[in-house]
Amino acid sequence: MTELYQALAQGLLIGATYGLLALGMGLVYGVSGVVNFSHGDFISLGMFMCLALYSAFAMDPYVSIIITVPLMTAIGALVYIFLIRPMVGHQFLMVVQLTLGLSLVLQNGILMVFGGEPARTPSFVESKLIILGDVVLRVPRIVAFVVSFALAIGLYIMLRSTDFGRSIRAVHQNAHAAALMGINVGRVQVLTFALGIGILALAAALLLPGTPIQPTQGLRYTVITLLVVVLGGMTNFVGIMLGGLIIGIAEAFGTIYLDGPIGLLLPYIIFVAIMLFLPKGLTWSSAR
Amino acid sequence: MLEIEDLTSGYAGVPVLRGINVKLAAGEIVGLLGANNAGKTTLINALSGMVKPISGRILFLGEDISKLTPQARVELGIVQVPEGRLVFPEMSIRENLLLGGINAHARKHRPQQMEKVIGLFPRLGERLTQSAGSLSGGEQQMLAIGRGLMAEAKLLMLDEPSLGLSPLFVQYIFEIIDKLHADGLTILLVEQNLNLTLRHAKRCYVLERGQVAVEGDAETVKNDPRTRSAYLGL
Amino acid sequence: MRDEFYKTLASPIWWGALVIAAIMPFVLSSYYVHILTLALVYVALASSWNIVGGMAGQISLAHSLFIGIGSMFSAALLLKLGINMWLGLVISAVISGILGAVIAWIDFRFQLGHLSFVLITLAFAEMGSIVVEGWDFLGGASGLLLPKDTGNFLAFQFGGGHGAFWMMLGLAAICVLVNVAILNSPLGYYLRTIRDNEKAAQAIGVNVLRYKITAMVISAMLASVVGTAYVRYLTFADPYLLISPVITIEIVLFATVGGLGRAYGPALGALLLVPLGEILRGKLGSTLPGLHYFIYGLVVISVILVTPRGLLPLFERLWARWRGPAVAGKP
Repeated sequence: MTELYQALAQGLLIGATYGLLALGMGLVYGVSGVVNFSHGDFISLGMFMCLALYSAFAMDPYVSIIITVPLMTAIGALVYIFLIRPMVGHQFLMVVQLTLGLSLVLQNGILMVFGGEPARTPSFVESKLIILGDVVLRVPRIVAFVVSFALAIGLYIMLRSTDFGRSIRAVHQNAHAAALMGINVGRVQVLTFALGIGILALAAALLLPGTPIQPTQGLRYTVITLLVVVLGGMTNFVGIMLGGLIIGIAEAFGTIYLDGPIGLLLPYIIFVAIMLFLPKGLTWSSAR
Repeated sequence: MLEIEDLTSGYAGVPVLRGINVKLAAGEIVGLLGANNAGKTTLINALSGMVKPISGRILFLGEDISKLTPQARVELGIVQVPEGRLVFPEMSIRENLLLGGINAHARKHRPQQMEKVIGLFPRLGERLTQSAGSLSGGEQQMLAIGRGLMAEAKLLMLDEPSLGLSPLFVQYIFEIIDKLHADGLTILLVEQNLNLTLRHAKRCYVLERGQVAVEGDAETVKNDPRTRSAYLGL
Repeated sequence: MRDEFYKTLASPIWWGALVIAAIMPFVLSSYYVHILTLALVYVALASSWNIVGGMAGQISLAHSLFIGIGSMFSAALLLKLGINMWLGLVISAVISGILGAVIAWIDFRFQLGHLSFVLITLAFAEMGSIVVEGWDFLGGASGLLLPKDTGNFLAFQFGGGHGAFWMMLGLAAICVLVNVAILNSPLGYYLRTIRDNEKAAQAIGVNVLRYKITAMVISAMLASVVGTAYVRYLTFADPYLLISPVITIEIVLFATVGGLGRAYGPALGALLLVPLGEILRGKLGSTLPGLHYFIYGLVVISVILVTPRGLLPLFERLWARWRGPAVAGKP
């Protein structure tokens, strides 16, 4: 029974961050129609930046976000302007291939600079635990949960109540009409993508403590994010957060209850099961 | 106020409009008529900056705006109420109106503009939180016009406002259009409905295959045989 | 079947190209013959995927299953049950065909959206990968080692270098020809309508299920056959290569960059990118780890930015320009 609670707790905690990752991807998709297959590699980049800052200045990952978030946001804007914007209007799959090329560049760039050995970045919260009954929760995971949820709520409020958020939704619902309102559609697209990458930098710092990192881990995060975003109906806010929790729990159950490689399959299996019967994913009503 | 000089424009280098010359004076209400593919919407989109000119120019208040972005044109007061309304379906009436006034120029007076628009369309005011996608055609048209007014238009361009509306709503919408005109707004009215337009617009242009076939005041246009042939393709 | 197909069969350019290609083993060093052989494998694989992904518009990542069955399963049949690889080839192809049909059926029956289909086929591919790595019969994680290639054709052996090259050349040519055939047949027409608008196709009476299954079965069986030949060439059945989703991602890259849905697109993509990758790895692989892939990634990005519609349209334009403005037609 404790195993059940442990799995549930762990899954929920990581699930909120998965949801956050997917929100970033969903926003970009809604506004530019692009799915960035180097999504996970940007997370990697964020993590390795934190590692570098730690090695050079003994900066705790939670502190280095002051540098990594603005830096990655700027990188995101540049990537969009020079690599992705030229591809708008072209075949979806071709844009995907471009992001795959980018994935190779990021992964191997990191590999060249940091080497392939798994590395850990210590954090002051790393080994702290909170024990609730029989369930052991690691503090970094709790921090990740709280921050991810808070950020998700922040995004929701931004989308609903600010002009910028409204222009994002307008571009998503009808880009032509949005332009007729005087919205600079191109600028909204750049900013949304940059915002997405900035979110990844933050998530990277959240996921980092206690996790050994490797240059090749990007694909795993990309696939998880894809599972969550498709499950959430691509652009449905509540659906995506819910999808994140589901995939998080599925992953936790898989790791705790099932031995070896089969355990890794559980998120996939849950995904297939849900998508077969709800082809549009977990779309909630109009929480756009 | 508006001068279109010898405009040739189209999509992907293929001209739809050829050598268009149109003038609008401030405070006028001018009709733009023509059959389905005559180029009416293309002309409106060219004025909004959504379609780039191949040659010719567009002058607004004496300035050449041919190279301005769509955003810049909205800020100057050139506002389009598009064909088919194109309201944002998953947003409420209130949010649609807020978006109408999102441009830098109009944003300063947005709350006041909102009150004015609701005063003009009380029915919208009653349902501010209702999603735009669930509105009827006529209600969406009210919303679209209201949205356009939020932008503090100097030139309001309406693309087929009567499309798909019941006769009652058409009458109501055109009463509003008359009122706006009486208050001094310059209006460019694109319509397929010949008689309706001739009743409300003092001057009209008839487009045929991308060119101006007939122009003049309502009477002249009504009696000109070329008007009928432009519509029937004879 | 339209004339285009018969014209291609009789085309002197085709036969000329084949003959020139066939002579390559005598002209080039064995290192380059090896690279070309690999390129031809991927020409064949990318062309087979093109039928489902390019022509029918169904982006399937399940191809590693068919390649894996064709390679790992027939290798296992030979090593564990002594079944001749020719027979193993046929058995694997049939199994792949059935599996492909099932996947296509699932796609249709559950009305899967495009991205869903991608992820679900990826899920199947991962499952396949895990099954093979956990099952000793199929070699587990350490793979299978085939008996040495002594050129015994009846035992499905080609004698290494030259023989393998010609075998792959033949397979690649067949896969491309199948593409040409389909594109010039009613099947190709129906696949295009399904790709462009599945609901509309269904509304006008196109039997979407039948054509999706047909495309997938042909595609799967071709991939499986190539898989069997590939594993014979490699002699070592490596599960991390042959049944990993990565191989599908590679062939999708070649097909897309070359020209999705066109007969010669995937071939062009593979012929350009495979040698590039191999040569980069050869020259730079041992200097700094990751450098060759880094550059490869940069090249892929650049090629796509320069030719966003694919390499084939670019080549067609250059070809037209070379033949002269009078013959060129549309620029």
